[in-house]
Amino acid sequence: MSLPDYGFYILCGTAVILLAAQAVTHPTQFFQVFIFGLTQGAIYALVALGYTMVYGIIELINFAHGDVFTLGAYIGTTLLGFFAITEGTFTAINLIALIIVFPVVMLIMGGINITIERVAYRPLRNAPRLAPLITAIGMSFFLEGVMFLWRGPATVHFPDILPTQSWYVAGVFFGVRDIFVVVVGAVLVSLLAVFINQTKLGKAMRATAQDRDAAQLMGIDINRTIAATFFIGALLAGAGGIIWGLYYNTIYYQLGFRSGLIAFTAAVFGGIGNIPGAAIGGLVIGLTAAFSDSYIGSKWTQVVIFGILIGVLVFRPTGLLGMRVPEK
Amino acid sequence: MVAFACGGGGGGGGANKGTIKIGSDLPVCTTGGQSTANGIKFAVDQKNKAGGVEGFTIAYQSFDDCRQGAYNADAGVANVRQMLDDSKYLGMVGPYNSAVAKAEIPIAAPKNFVMVSPSNTNPCLTKDIAGCSYHPQDLRAGNPNNYWRVVTTDDYQGPAMADYMYKQLNIKTVGILDDSTVFGVGIAGSFEQEFKKLGGTVAAHSEYKKEQTSDWKSILLNFKSKGAQGVYVGGTDDQNICIPRKQMKDIGWTAPFGGGDGIETTDCIEQASGNESEIYATSAGADATQVSGAKATIDAFRAQFSGANDFGGYTMQAYDAANALMTAIGNAIKANNGNMPTRLQVRDQFAKIQGFKGVIGTYDFDQNGDTSLKIVSIYVVKTGLSADDAKNSTGVCGKKAANACFVWKTQFDFAKPS
Repeated sequence: MSLPDYGFYILCGTAVILLAAQAVTHPTQFFQVFIFGLTQGAIYALVALGYTMVYGIIELINFAHGDVFTLGAYIGTTLLGFFAITEGTFTAINLIALIIVFPVVMLIMGGINITIERVAYRPLRNAPRLAPLITAIGMSFFLEGVMFLWRGPATVHFPDILPTQSWYVAGVFFGVRDIFVVVVGAVLVSLLAVFINQTKLGKAMRATAQDRDAAQLMGIDINRTIAATFFIGALLAGAGGIIWGLYYNTIYYQLGFRSGLIAFTAAVFGGIGNIPGAAIGGLVIGLTAAFSDSYIGSKWTQVVIFGILIGVLVFRPTGLLGMRVPEK
Repeated sequence: MVAFACGGGGGGGGANKGTIKIGSDLPVCTTGGQSTANGIKFAVDQKNKAGGVEGFTIAYQSFDDCRQGAYNADAGVANVRQMLDDSKYLGMVGPYNSAVAKAEIPIAAPKNFVMVSPSNTNPCLTKDIAGCSYHPQDLRAGNPNNYWRVVTTDDYQGPAMADYMYKQLNIKTVGILDDSTVFGVGIAGSFEQEFKKLGGTVAAHSEYKKEQTSDWKSILLNFKSKGAQGVYVGGTDDQNICIPRKQMKDIGWTAPFGGGDGIETTDCIEQASGNESEIYATSAGADATQVSGAKATIDAFRAQFSGANDFGGYTMQAYDAANALMTAIGNAIKANNGNMPTRLQVRDQFAKIQGFKGVIGTYDFDQNGDTSLKIVSIYVVKTGLSADDAKNSTGVCGKKAANACFVWKTQFDFAKPS
C-alpha cells in the first residue's frame, strides 16, 4: 500500500467514526438524515451514470446531460397532464399513468439524446477535445432555453401522485415516496449492470470504451455503439427526471445545471467511466450533503462535498473504484 | 374657436397639448411584475379617460428587466437609459426589486429623473443606517433626491412578523432560513433581532443558495429537533424559498411558516405544492380592503383586468405610485404656465407632495423618499376557498391551487407609537 492509500483510508475512517458516534448518541436524527441522503443520492446516481458512460466511451463531459434530465421531468409533467390523475392520493389511474409515462418519457429522452449526439458530437468526434466540450455547453444552454420558452422561468408543478402513506419507525419518519425513489433507482442501476455485463451490445460498449480502433477492427459498429450509449444514458436521465418530479413536486428549467454538476462530481468521485463507481459516488454525495446540512451547517455543504472530492482525487486520483477510460 | 378651446383647456380637459411619456421598469416575466404593471396601466387609462393631465395625454410604456426569467439590474439600467434618451419621458414607476433600484438611481439622479417604486423595501436605498454596504447619498452622487417609494421598509417587515409569530401564534422557538441574497439576509436579520428582543429563541439560522440546494429536509429536521415551533424564511420565490414549505410535509412536520413580501406570491403557493395552509407573509403596505374607498377602485380594476393573476400584492401600490407621479407632472405643468415641464420641474414638484390621497392611504413623503405610511400587513394562506372568494381576494392566489389564496389577517402601524 502506498502513502496516498493510507491518507485515503484515514480520511474515510475519520468520517465513518464521526458518523458512527452520531449514530450512537442521536440514533433517531442520524437515521432520519440517512434516509434523506439515500433518496437524494439515488437520484444523483441515476444522472451520474449517464455522465460516466459517455465519458467512458468517448471521453466527453456531456454538459447537456443534466438538462436532458430536467427535460425528462418537463416532458413527464406534461404527459401526466393528459391523464385524469388525482393529486395527493393514489388511484388506479395514477398507477396506469405512471406505468405509461415512465417508459414513454425514457424513450423520448433516449431519442433526443441520440439526436444531440448525431448533431452536436458525432461531426466533431475527431476534432480537438475542446470542440465537442464547447458544443456540449452550447447544447446545455439550448435545452435550458427550450424549457424556458416552453414553460417560462418560474418553478413548474409536477403532479403529486405517489401514495402518501408514511410511517414512524423508532422515531424515524419515512414514506412510500422515499422507498419508491430508492427501489426504482436500485432496479434501474441493476438492470444497467446486467445489460453492460451480459448482453452483446454491452460487450460492444465495453470494447469500444477500452479501445475504439481495435473494437472497430473486430467488426463493432462504433457509431451504433456510441449512439446506444447516449440512448441508455438518456433512458436513465429521463427516469431520474420523473423520479425527481414525483419526489420533490417542483421543477425549474435551470435544475439540470446544479444536478448535473453534482452528478458529474459523483461520477468523478466514483472513478469516471466506472459504472458501479458512479452509483456509489451518487450515494456518497447525497449522504454527505444530508449529513453536512444537518451536522455542520448548510453554508458548509458545498465546501464539504468538494473538499471530499479534492481529498479523494489527491489521495486516489482515479476515484473511488478506479477510472475506466480508453487506453492510449 | 381658439379662444373656446383655451377656455376648455383651463378646465382640465379639451385641447390636447401633446403627449407626455411615463415608463415602468418591472420584471414583467413574473406574475408579480406583470400584476404590478397592470396597476400602472389602469391608473394611466383612468387618467386619460378623465381628460389626461392638464391637457396632456399620458403614454405609458412598460419595460421588462427580466433576463433568464428573473430580475436583472443590468437590464434595468439599460431600460432607464432608454427612457433617459427620450426627452418625452418625465418619470417612471419602478423598479420592483431593491437590487435593481440600487443600480438605477445613480444614472437617473443626475438627470433629475423621477423614480417611484411600488415595492422596493430595502431600507438602505433611502436610509443611512448601520448594516448597509453603501450610503443613500452616494447613490445620488450629490444630486437632489429623485427616488420615492410608496411602501415601507424591511426593517419594519421583519419585526412585524416576529411580533406576530411570538405573540399571536405563540411561537417561542423558531428556525430561520435565508436565501443568501441581500434582501433575504436583511429581512431575516431584522426578524431575528426582534424575535430575540421579544424573548424568543432561535433554534438555528441556516442559509442556502438557489443554485446549490434543492433538498432542505436535513436543515428543516435540524430546526425541528432543536425544538423550533415554526420557520421564518428570508427570501423570494424566484430563489425557491417556498419549496422548503412543501418539504416540511415530507418530513412530517406541521408548523407555521412565515416570511416577508417575497413569499406573498403566486409562485410561492405553487412551490408549497400541497402544504399551502399556514404560510404567513408580510406585505410592506396596507391592504386595500382596510382603506375606506379603496374597494371601488379595486372593483373597477377587476372589471378591466379579470384574470386570476392580474391582481397582485403590489397592484394598488403601483396604481398609487403612477398617480403620485402624474400629480407631480400635473403640478409641474401648472408651475410652467401649462407648458411641457422639464424633468427637474417634475422632480421639484414631487418633492413637494404632501397629504397624497392614494388607494392604500393618505400619506406624505419624507426628504429621503420614504412614505409616512409605515403599515405592514400580515397575510395567511387559506385553502379551499370558493371561486368567488378567491376572485375577490386582495391577496394573491395559486395558479394550479387556484382556491388557495393569501387572506388579510391583521396589520401593524409603526407610525403610531405603540
